[in-house]
Amino acid sequence: MSTDGHEEGEIAVAADRLLVPLSDTVTVRQTVGYAVRSGLEDAGELAIHLVVALPHEASLPESRQRTAEAEELLSKAENWVQEDAGSASVTIKTTLLGTDEYLFGPRDFAETFNDYAQEHDIDLIVLDPEYQPGSTAQILQSVELELDAVGLAYDEAPVERPARHQRLVGDVSERFDRLFAMFWISYGFYLVLGDPTYWFDLVTGAAVAGIVSLSLAHVTFTFPLDRVQSPIRAIRFGLYIPYLIWEIVKANIAVSAVILRPSMPIEPTMTRINTRVRGGLPLLALANSITLTPGTLTVRADDQRLIVHTLIPSARDDLFDGGLERAIRFVFYGRESAAIPTPRERGDTEIIGGDDQ
Amino acid sequence: MIETIRFWVIVVLLGLGVFFTFVSTVGVIRLPDIYARAHTASQTDTLGAGFALAGVAVAFGWQHAAVYTVLLLFFVFITNPTAAHAIARSAAESGIEPWTNDSDEDGDSQ
Repeated sequence: MSTDGHEEGEIAVAADRLLVPLSDTVTVRQTVGYAVRSGLEDAGELAIHLVVALPHEASLPESRQRTAEAEELLSKAENWVQEDAGSASVTIKTTLLGTDEYLFGPRDFAETFNDYAQEHDIDLIVLDPEYQPGSTAQILQSVELELDAVGLAYDEAPVERPARHQRLVGDVSERFDRLFAMFWISYGFYLVLGDPTYWFDLVTGAAVAGIVSLSLAHVTFTFPLDRVQSPIRAIRFGLYIPYLIWEIVKANIAVSAVILRPSMPIEPTMTRINTRVRGGLPLLALANSITLTPGTLTVRADDQRLIVHTLIPSARDDLFDGGLERAIRFVFYGRESAAIPTPRERGDTEIIGGDDQ
Repeated sequence: MIETIRFWVIVVLLGLGVFFTFVSTVGVIRLPDIYARAHTASQTDTLGAGFALAGVAVAFGWQHAAVYTVLLLFFVFITNPTAAHAIARSAAESGIEPWTNDSDEDGDSQ
């Protein structure tokens, strides 16, 4: 990769119109610095286009904060360029891309960059090796492939990544924990489906669990496991299920009563609720539990801001009282964390459509 | 004696399952728009399938097959909200406005 970058660095020398897609990474500062340096090396004049491609539609209410963050990043990057350029003449242009469409995969990003490059006569794209436009996994590799496909010249900035070494240190025991957990989960599942007292199932189960854990452990657990906390969480989740079923039964009866009444007194509303859970798994559990209880339906999830459609007022009140949120906090963060004010008391709720009260 | 109780437990559980499935069907027909219908469609999966599978588990008795029904219910409980969310989200993305009480009584939202 380094020789590759070097060769394309030669092209960078001749370039005087650069496109730098930015995202909030640890290496974005170095990438901007490299772009300015390599651009100024030969050509006396440099036009640098800083863009942030938004993975969400900017017009939607829940993307507003992200748009604000993107604009902040752009203005920061503009200052960096001015700082690095010194007395050399550099024209800076900052743009938000993808504001009117929904960019989904690497291909959408590559095509957006290509359109922009054609429009502004861009010679070269300087990519941040950690470039990560969405909240999803890193997509640099695939962006490179797609850029190749549309025939755009790009250059990967040579940056130093201090975080990489730290990640390698705890790797062995972390890897073992994942394999260990994955092995026993899949072995347990195999024996539940099979017969735990039959030797053949025990042997084939161990073999299958071995293959599954080797091939899938790093996919299943995207976060490091904790030897004490993770099993405790699993037990707490077991306690959570009866509570969830009770909530589902209550909500089902309430919704059924409304549907069967001839006048059908529904009051559909769109609400926004800022939940206090972090990370993918707790949020998934919460959003799914909200959807699972009839009367509330998660329409959109943007980090911890959920847009929830509620059918009847009592379901909305339950949602704003945050019973499920507290239960999820109990499962993932423990008993003390569960005792927090309700979303209504925190002012984290908002009715954005339908009946106003 | 035990057998009679078990028989009636099964009948009641299946009856409840059928009842909630029926309510859910009525809801899908009566409710005004896609979001409201998604609420009630998930009732079939939660309590409708839940009670029916509980009845099946009781009918099988303390056997291996009863474990399967619990697993089945577990997967239904994971996939149902995912599907409901996917429908609601795609509706929101295609710009369907939620029906409210202020909307025209006859105006079916798409």
